[in-house]
Amino acid sequence: MLEAKLDLKLLEMCSKCGACYSICPSCVNIPGYDPRAVIKSILDGEHEKWINHHSIWECLECHYCLEMCYQHYGFESAMTAMRNIATRKGAHPPQVKRGWDMFVKTSRLGEPALPARKKLGLPEPKASGAEEFRKLYALLNEKRAQHKAE
Amino acid sequence: MKEFAVFWGCTIQTRFPFIEKSTRMVLESFKLPYRDIDGFTCCPEKSLVNNVDHGAFVVTAARNVALVDELGYDLVSPCTGCVSNLATVRGELNANPREKAEVNGLLKEIGREFTGTASLKHLVPFFHDTVGVHTIKQKIKRDFKGMRIALHYGCHMIRPSHALRADDPLNPVKFDNLIRGLGAESLQFMTKLMCCGQGLDRIDEHDKALDFARVKLKELKAMKADALVLCCPSCFLQFDNNQFLMEKEGERFGIPVIYFTELLGLALGFSAEELGMSNHRIDCASFLTKWEELSAKPAVAKGIEEGLTGPNALG
Repeated sequence: MLEAKLDLKLLEMCSKCGACYSICPSCVNIPGYDPRAVIKSILDGEHEKWINHHSIWECLECHYCLEMCYQHYGFESAMTAMRNIATRKGAHPPQVKRGWDMFVKTSRLGEPALPARKKLGLPEPKASGAEEFRKLYALLNEKRAQHKAE
Repeated sequence: MKEFAVFWGCTIQTRFPFIEKSTRMVLESFKLPYRDIDGFTCCPEKSLVNNVDHGAFVVTAARNVALVDELGYDLVSPCTGCVSNLATVRGELNANPREKAEVNGLLKEIGREFTGTASLKHLVPFFHDTVGVHTIKQKIKRDFKGMRIALHYGCHMIRPSHALRADDPLNPVKFDNLIRGLGAESLQFMTKLMCCGQGLDRIDEHDKALDFARVKLKELKAMKADALVLCCPSCFLQFDNNQFLMEKEGERFGIPVIYFTELLGLALGFSAEELGMSNHRIDCASFLTKWEELSAKPAVAKGIEEGLTGPNALG
């Protein structure tokens, strides 16, 4: 339920195009970065060789490829799917792990800087929805377990 | 004008409260009906949460949108990432009734409902579309005529366009229009739309993040830009903080990084001190000094009209 997906038909078309390659900021600025190689591996049934590779994390999700793509698909979709697979196997960068832990625990990626707020004369920050969020996330996981059992 | 909730987001409230300060000052100056509301969480950050659990990404954003939906407010955010993430999920749910029903099934159990009716806007398109360049021009006390400003849109202010519908995703104009409305020159340059690259710092690749910052800063230095103006806390982190780190290592660019609300605040007559600009890592003094010098110069074509219409020596 509500899992990441990868449309292989669109990916097949994507592998024959490459219109977005020369506009992708990571392709232009990071030597050796090329999502087309990752896409080829996925279609060849060899995606696993990228799971521990830093390249799959170097897609900046700027959505340039999505806007250029005549399928409105973009090779970021393949990179997102690969990152999801890597994360399930625990192969994500340490900072991603720390960020995720903080998000699940507090519902935020940091707490308001109170002393600085006071100095600037800013009002008290509003109540966070942390408790309700935790409940919602637990419900999602419960429902997923039910789906699996069915 | 419809009331709107401001979605501050984690980065501004955690790291850059002075951006919240200048945003509030500007919103109040225009007497805009903004509200602070209880219950928001992280938007959530796509490059983190969506890479780990797509479902968590969807339900968290849907819940945040439901909060404004229920109040009948719109939503405006000074963070590009927050708006883009919320709009992405809203787009996904509105295009996919089955998924929307699943999400609402979960939200119902905590007493919420996602309808997706609220307008979700970033501050820059909001000022452009809802406040309007004309109103801004009438309201400002002093313009930036003679100042050469390099704009950085920030990818998520304009993309993904199917979800945001904020501006042209490949050739945006609204931020330029606002800056020109303030009297400044909006420089056109090769790396104008290049992603800031801050995301690389979030995956433990600091050196590559610096490489990205360097590409744009080098071009701006060569062009002698007076400032880099942007409206995204991640991009601000990249160009202010990372530029500072590079300067500490002896690589000097000297490009002040100014948030849109700070620039607008200066034009409205607030001082840099009041706007909290002393909290930047890169000193804005060069920008402010040039601006002072320009305002000390005589007005455009001063005395010409009197010269043409005044007393005539021939009698």
